[in-house]
Amino acid sequence: MNGQTSHQQSKDGRHDDDAALTEFLASLMDYTPTIPDELVEHYLAKSGFQCPDIRLTRLVAVATQKFIADVATDALQQCKARQSAVVKDKRDKQQKDKRLILTMDDLSKALREYGVNVKHQEYFADCPSAGLDSASREE
Amino acid sequence: MSDGDGRDSLKFLGERENQQWKRKKKKLGADEFAQAIARIAVAQVCEGLGFQSFHQSALDSLADVGVRYIREIGKTACSYANLANRSQCNVFDVIQGLEDLGSIQGFSGASDVSHSLSGSGVVKDLIRYVGQAEEIPFAYLTPVFPVVKQRTLDPSFAQAGESPPDEHIPSWLPKFPEPETYATLSLRNEKDLETEVVNKTQLVEEQHRKVERPLLNFQQKLICNGSEAGVVVEQGDAAKAQRAAESNPFLAPPLQYGEKEVALPVLPPKLLDDPADYHNSCVVTDTNLLTLEPSLRPRETERSAPCEPEDRRNILLNGRPSLQFKFGNGKKSLRMVTSPRNESIEKVSLWFGDDHDGKDKTNRKAEKILWENTEYPPEVSHL
Repeated sequence: MNGQTSHQQSKDGRHDDDAALTEFLASLMDYTPTIPDELVEHYLAKSGFQCPDIRLTRLVAVATQKFIADVATDALQQCKARQSAVVKDKRDKQQKDKRLILTMDDLSKALREYGVNVKHQEYFADCPSAGLDSASREE
Repeated sequence: MSDGDGRDSLKFLGERENQQWKRKKKKLGADEFAQAIARIAVAQVCEGLGFQSFHQSALDSLADVGVRYIREIGKTACSYANLANRSQCNVFDVIQGLEDLGSIQGFSGASDVSHSLSGSGVVKDLIRYVGQAEEIPFAYLTPVFPVVKQRTLDPSFAQAGESPPDEHIPSWLPKFPEPETYATLSLRNEKDLETEVVNKTQLVEEQHRKVERPLLNFQQKLICNGSEAGVVVEQGDAAKAQRAAESNPFLAPPLQYGEKEVALPVLPPKLLDDPADYHNSCVVTDTNLLTLEPSLRPRETERSAPCEPEDRRNILLNGRPSLQFKFGNGKKSLRMVTSPRNESIEKVSLWFGDDHDGKDKTNRKAEKILWENTEYPPEVSHL
């Protein structure tokens, strides 16, 4: 008995899920993802993805947008955490550093959570003063 | 780009950055347009989240990662579709691909192996995201790319209604180009023609020059040494090849022994007893004139040996015959071919320019005296 009811419930659940998915795909046509459709189609075609249905491209676009948004959010949090840690002394610095900048440092830390290892060079030693600025900054 | 310092990146174009930017600009790959669009899209997303500015390299990296994400979804979705014996992907393939990619971060219900795909955690996350996030449309209107050019292919033999010139060419292959398109040579001098004719392998090219053809045939008849006469070749004719074979001396039947007089090879003087046998043999190949001149300065005894006009030029160190290659302009080569051997020798001497009969003897005597006592007379190069 219990098994049957649970089975029925799961069936209903599946119907709900299907309905939800269908509804979601339909709503995708209204929602315009930030990543344009042409770009997504170009790269999907490059990787062998064949589907004439535009809803799927929108789905992929939304998924990518979500991914990038997640990564950027993590980087933003890193940036804010660093700023709150740095700011101890002067208020001048505080006002200046209000600007949130997407740096390579924060990005690599955020991406590491997602399994992407991005290592960036500290400085390019192409002139004698390379690297001196950052060293003087990290006082 | 000095990315170690945030302030530097905010400057628009410093000196170093300018140079680097210029260098970067030159390396434009095939995907530049798509990458630029990706960069703009990612920048918009970041701006919507609260970032006010960014490092150029950070933006590039994030855009690249986003592009790779798209490609990875496409790849996994495609592989799932192929696994299910389909060539076209459907929504479940995409969801499975998303699950694979999201398995690093984790999503709700990931551990449930038998869950249905439509109720998957990734889908729910997406639904939630779409509901929450504000809609930021892309800033520009993007055209459909890449633009596929309509190529006009060359018509095949069958399409043009022509029959291919030879049996071995199927009719569905594209047509041969018009002869006018590749026959680039204009009217040339007669003399130039003669030199080309000497080269039998250029026969096939010659056939395509309408104007010079009758002249060509006449010259061919003159020059071919008793072998098959020149050919009258039609253009675009299937029988052309056969006639070319007839005229091509390399394809002709071999000569019988004694049919044609062939010059004997010149032996070096050490092997020959009679110094009077010294003579110059001229072998003409194409436009090159190869003169084999044996050592003609006998050091031991035969000082009074009759020297040919060219002898004095061949002062050798160790008695080997010297090879002198003459890459001429071919204007005189015809005479080399047609005239008998003795004449050719004299022609060669004329070619060298400074040999007049009057001066010969005096020069020879002078050189004899000069080099009488030396063991190693200097080698004189005349070219």
